[in-house]
Amino acid sequence: MTNLFRHLNWLSLMLFLPFSMLMGQQRIITGIVTDASGNAPVIGATILIVGTSSGTVTDGTGNYSISVQKGQTLRFSYTGFATQEVLVDNQSSVDILLAPEATGLNEVVVTALGVKEEKRKLSYALQEIKGQDLSNTGRDNFLVSLQGRVAGLTMTPTSGQAGSSVSIRLRGPSSIDGNNQPLFVIDGLPVDNRTFNQGGLVSDQPNRTADYQNRVGDINPSDIESVTILKGPEAAALYGIDASSGAIIITTKKGVAGAGKINYDNQFRMEQVYRLPKYNTDFTRGFNGATDPTSLRFFGPRIPDGTQKFDNVNSFFRTGFTQTHNLGFEGGSERVTYRLSSSYTNQNGFVPTNDYRRISVRLSTSAKISKKLEATSTFNYINTTTTSPFRGANGYLLSLLQWPSNDDASVYLNSDGTRRKLIADPSEQDNPFFNVYKNSNTNRTKRSIGNFALIYNPTSWLNVTGRFGLDIYNTLGNQFSHPESILGIAGRGTIETFSESSQLLNGNLLATARKKVGDFSVSFTFGGTIDDRNYEVTSQQGQKLYIPDFNSINNTDPTTQRNKLTITRQRLVSLLGNFEAGYKNLVYLSIRGRNDWSSTLPIENRSFFYPSIGLSFVFSELPAFKGSILSYGKIRGTYSQTGKDAQPYKILPRLVPQTSTGGGFGYDFFGGNPNLKPERTEGYEFGTELKFFGNRLGFDFTYFNNTRYDQIVSQRLSYGTGFIFGLLNGGTFATNGYEATLNITPIQTKKFAWDLTANFTKYTTSVRNLPADQPEFYNSDTWLYDNARASAFVKDLGRFYPGVNLDYNQRGAGTATAIGGYSYLRNNNGQILINPSTGLPVINSNFLPIGNTNPDFTLGLTNVFTIGNFRASFLLDIRKGGDVFNGTERFLFQNGLSTRVTDRTTPYVFNGVLRDGRENTEKPTANTIQVSPATRTDFYTAFPESDFIEKNINWIRLRDVTLGYTFPTAKLEKTKVFRSINIYVTGTDLWLLTNYSGADPNVNGNSATTRGVGAGGFDFGTISLPRTISAGVRVGL
Amino acid sequence: MKTLKITIAFCMLFWFSGCKDYLDINQDPSNPQVAEGYVVLPPIFSQMVRGEAFDTRYAGSFVQYFGNTAAGNQWDRQGYISGSDAGGEKWRSHYWSIGTNADIIIKDATAKNLWDYSGAAKAIRAWSWQSTTDWHGEMILKQAWEPNRFVFDYDTQEEVYAEVVRLCNDALADFNKPDYAKTLSRGDLVYKGDTDKWIRFVYSILARNAHHLSNKSNYNPDKVIEYVDKSLRNNADNFDVPHAGTNTGDANFYGPLRNNMGSFRPTNYVVGLMDGTVFNKVVDPRMPLMFTASPDGVFRGVAPAAGDPNNVAGNTKRIPNLWGALGVVPTTGKFIFDDKAAHSIVTYMELQFIKAEAAFKKGDKAMAFAAFRNGVGASLDYVKVSATDKATYLASAALPASADLLKLSDIMLQKYIALYGHGSLETWVDMRRYNYDPNVYTGFAIPNPLFPDNSNKTVQRVRPRYNSEYVWNRQALDKLGALLPDYHTLPMWFVKP
Repeated sequence: MTNLFRHLNWLSLMLFLPFSMLMGQQRIITGIVTDASGNAPVIGATILIVGTSSGTVTDGTGNYSISVQKGQTLRFSYTGFATQEVLVDNQSSVDILLAPEATGLNEVVVTALGVKEEKRKLSYALQEIKGQDLSNTGRDNFLVSLQGRVAGLTMTPTSGQAGSSVSIRLRGPSSIDGNNQPLFVIDGLPVDNRTFNQGGLVSDQPNRTADYQNRVGDINPSDIESVTILKGPEAAALYGIDASSGAIIITTKKGVAGAGKINYDNQFRMEQVYRLPKYNTDFTRGFNGATDPTSLRFFGPRIPDGTQKFDNVNSFFRTGFTQTHNLGFEGGSERVTYRLSSSYTNQNGFVPTNDYRRISVRLSTSAKISKKLEATSTFNYINTTTTSPFRGANGYLLSLLQWPSNDDASVYLNSDGTRRKLIADPSEQDNPFFNVYKNSNTNRTKRSIGNFALIYNPTSWLNVTGRFGLDIYNTLGNQFSHPESILGIAGRGTIETFSESSQLLNGNLLATARKKVGDFSVSFTFGGTIDDRNYEVTSQQGQKLYIPDFNSINNTDPTTQRNKLTITRQRLVSLLGNFEAGYKNLVYLSIRGRNDWSSTLPIENRSFFYPSIGLSFVFSELPAFKGSILSYGKIRGTYSQTGKDAQPYKILPRLVPQTSTGGGFGYDFFGGNPNLKPERTEGYEFGTELKFFGNRLGFDFTYFNNTRYDQIVSQRLSYGTGFIFGLLNGGTFATNGYEATLNITPIQTKKFAWDLTANFTKYTTSVRNLPADQPEFYNSDTWLYDNARASAFVKDLGRFYPGVNLDYNQRGAGTATAIGGYSYLRNNNGQILINPSTGLPVINSNFLPIGNTNPDFTLGLTNVFTIGNFRASFLLDIRKGGDVFNGTERFLFQNGLSTRVTDRTTPYVFNGVLRDGRENTEKPTANTIQVSPATRTDFYTAFPESDFIEKNINWIRLRDVTLGYTFPTAKLEKTKVFRSINIYVTGTDLWLLTNYSGADPNVNGNSATTRGVGAGGFDFGTISLPRTISAGVRVGL
Repeated sequence: MKTLKITIAFCMLFWFSGCKDYLDINQDPSNPQVAEGYVVLPPIFSQMVRGEAFDTRYAGSFVQYFGNTAAGNQWDRQGYISGSDAGGEKWRSHYWSIGTNADIIIKDATAKNLWDYSGAAKAIRAWSWQSTTDWHGEMILKQAWEPNRFVFDYDTQEEVYAEVVRLCNDALADFNKPDYAKTLSRGDLVYKGDTDKWIRFVYSILARNAHHLSNKSNYNPDKVIEYVDKSLRNNADNFDVPHAGTNTGDANFYGPLRNNMGSFRPTNYVVGLMDGTVFNKVVDPRMPLMFTASPDGVFRGVAPAAGDPNNVAGNTKRIPNLWGALGVVPTTGKFIFDDKAAHSIVTYMELQFIKAEAAFKKGDKAMAFAAFRNGVGASLDYVKVSATDKATYLASAALPASADLLKLSDIMLQKYIALYGHGSLETWVDMRRYNYDPNVYTGFAIPNPLFPDNSNKTVQRVRPRYNSEYVWNRQALDKLGALLPDYHTLPMWFVKP
């Protein structure tokens, strides 16, 4: 009965939270917390009433207010500063100067399962980002803002369209054919970051025609307190196999005890197309130099001078506009705190019809049920709608570039409302306006994320925490291909809809015991987790539209209607143990072990164990370093193993419905494997953290080496297997590299401070061997235009290609990040072979390495200047090296629109030797055959893909720049209304300096759902990130 | 507190007892992973057609049934496209889409005593080995479909031929098993469960198998004749795979809906066989039913590798496409080039011509002549020539008047006409047996020049599928010499003496 009453009480507290804080007869103390060394306000400093759980944090201006009683003690603390305590007497205001703590001893970070850990204990590298830095950039998908802020992190956006998916990789492409995205964890529990896979559609598209937001992009950046990035496989020891490519731990903002607060902030953003491919508009449509009104390629004569030309590109794009409003309430008492935030974002992208809208409501509460038991709960409802035009081969971008410059593209309809065409041919590329206005691709998601935790402290040394989470969403998608569009003409209009529902339930129960015996401290954690995923897609497709513009599946011919059902269910349970021992503040040892049981593996192989061991040595604690310039010094090392399970239902091959006469079932492309084992990774890392001059100079360095073997791979093989793809364990990848982070505060005065952070990343992924002893592995999604694809190659290719000169195919050999494609066929001396009858080069149609997308290094530079109440920050993203397949340029070249070889009258002689049977003799016949580009359109298709690999692409990019001003508290106090006001202006992607000839080298030809290395570095028909300027105000009441 | 303890206790209990059941969810609820034979059999028929029909587009070029509208086409010049899967569809059907699906049927049938199903599956596999080895030559036989094998050695064509015989005998044994309930009609789109017809189909495979070895010293025409006599008895016994023809999924590969034949035109060689040029000025009544005249009323064909020089709108000499239309895709096609037309895998007429040739080689001209007349008659019926026209043609100077006058070229040319389109792969077998001899194939001219890689040799085989073998099984190909540019000119075992 008492229990029940307690629960009711707790419930009523939750319901009547906004009123509860009005109670109590306490005094309010206000004040400002500033940094003693620079006099800058300390934002987010914690103020706690000693002996209670009540407290608050300082706001964006360093100010706070707290309700206390006389005789209580206030404790002021902030990471990296020495804690201070003040006894409350009759003061109404307490201002505090916090002095930096020289050792950084008590710095804590959120690590595993929501547990805060002292950073000094950690034997592995991690990095923490403040949520404010991410939300300041104003990007709808906060993952885009991570590039440059984290060493070892590579972010690849799909495109610049609103609502695009974003791919994140930590420490390189670890798995050849698996999901390489890190695990996302919010407040101790994993959430879903799926990007819709077009394989669920009836039309089974290859993840490159349309884009879908990755689900972590749903998270409102303003709700994020901090983001911790665990980079290596040791994350898996904490979070399980889904974290074997690292984990991104998001901690959300919580309410703090004290007076109730209202926060409002907004942002208004404009965006414009920034970079477009260069192209040539000098020639008319034609073939072999003659005008041909039925041709859609530009190989006719030059357009005569004086012909009117239209700036179709500028008339196509629009100025995008986004507005975001966030409104929140927070507060609480000693026993209960709450925070309610709501957010509305409405983005109209710079590409016509591209829209993104998000509504998010989030409630976090925590309650002390008894002295020993605390409960927290979070509930988040999100509603997003994305309308994004089609991209790639039949998308608007290529059709815009291909539209004749002497024709006004904006006139896309005839007077009777039908599509205006250039030629009467069904294969005619769409007019770009027609493409975006008459076709559509819309996705609407409703999502609920809940997270409930009970924290029980029966004694001072024991803690038991149980968490339960659910993440449920449903997406309704609709693709409309107009009957007159190239996308819909074959089916006389196609409508395809899908309903995607996903349910992720997970929970964990952990017991931790801590004891201190003399100089030794030990802790032992034991627990279990459970993860249950249900995923279902039903899709419908209909064709032959009755009414051309009516977008409803009911408007399709019933005989054309087809359905597809995809259900996947998978479950994972695990037991884990974690032992930690520390000696003084000097040495820490941690040993972890985890055993997983996965539903996706054969019964005899479904259980697998993986351990990890780490050591941290804080040598600055040694007496020798006391008083030296070294304020903090640590070396650390970790060895860890992880496993990874398969995708569901892979043990036996599946039969898929057939549409041939009589229907029935037949085997799918993919073979099964009843002997499947878990995929394995073995990794180690060493690192050091050094801080000098009272933390004004910090250096963090990590070397890592991960070897992944027995990978679960769908490998293309000989059809002798009975399938197109075999499923097997195989392939060994070794990724090793360095990460370094440097923090410097070169200037720190009372009025002015300059902080500089540099994040450096360098790694390579080498291929020791490939599954089934094959020379190449590729992901078919990435084979997106002509004959170039993202491949992994073994080093010793000569074994597989006897008699083929491979001297010019070494770039990318032996790596997992190669571009495989066609190149020139050469003789033994490396001379290009020329076809004697055409004068054009002979193409080597073996897929061989022709490039490597892996950069030499990446560097992110963040500068923050604080001048009085002004704050300015710049993030520069620098990349050195790495190749890009410029498919857009190849497309333009083959269609006579390229800026290469615009002099068509000068005959061209390919430098090579004739393939006349004497090419490998002592005296090969030198090629002298002249080819006139003007009259030989086949000249423009004679160059292999290897000529469109742009090598060693570098960039310096101003990712974001923010200027902010915080109104002085003294002035605000007079208003009696505002607690804080901050105004700011942000620009993103304002400037890019690169040696890349195309638009933007940082795009991805696939969406983030593509497995393996993905199509980063494949530029084809994808719009680059826009330039944006935004401004906003944050108000605290 | 109590609830918490209960929760913990429950969790522990769950861990130790319920874990196994909880994790046993690895069966796909949306797609089956095992199935009955009648579910798998219908798509296998369409996959038999798919392999034949795709590759007929190249076989048809080799034997000059049709040529490309554009000049210089690789296949018209007996060449190939490097780095392409073109020509590898039989390979795909044999190993994958018929491949292990046939094993599902055999496994299911063996467990349930459904011998008509296992007989049908074995017969289809035997047919597939036969027609695929005749197309590609050496194949992966012993190691095919072996679990946990990723690279595969090739076996000789002789071994594949022996496997065909073995499987045919197995199939016959299954069909002839006593006392089992016949249920084949449920999945059998072709013979509606009639096992007698299936048995005749098996004998037609054996007839092909034995007859293809006509150049060898141990060639046994009596055995061939025996097989033919046990095989198909009339056109109603033809192995005809039906097409619903309602959408691109269930329509005939050759029909307008699938739009696969738009760039092909009949050759001047085949038109010459029918417009009287070769056969004593007798115009073949099949010609207007199979082909379409140009706007000026004249039937024309393209010269191989030369294209149609008149292929522009308005030209009265422009050659209509195989659907009977000028430069456009019509809504209905013509002859076997129609959406709903069935695809013949083996026909009665082919077998009668096999018998005629075997008897001719044996020296039994009377038997040869009778079989020859059966073949021609069946072909006229197949094309739906009227009874009057049929009688007129059978009595005409196009055909030898008596057994004594029967020449080998009569048999082979009438077979050539009868197998037009659907029998392209078999016609290519015949032409290779006679090495494109213009005395057998009267007036047949090898394209000049041949494809550059041929080194002036005729095409004898098609490379195994590129994205199966040339990318993923290269080392085995190297042993065959299949990496050489003129591999496709290497004669096969079956044509050798």
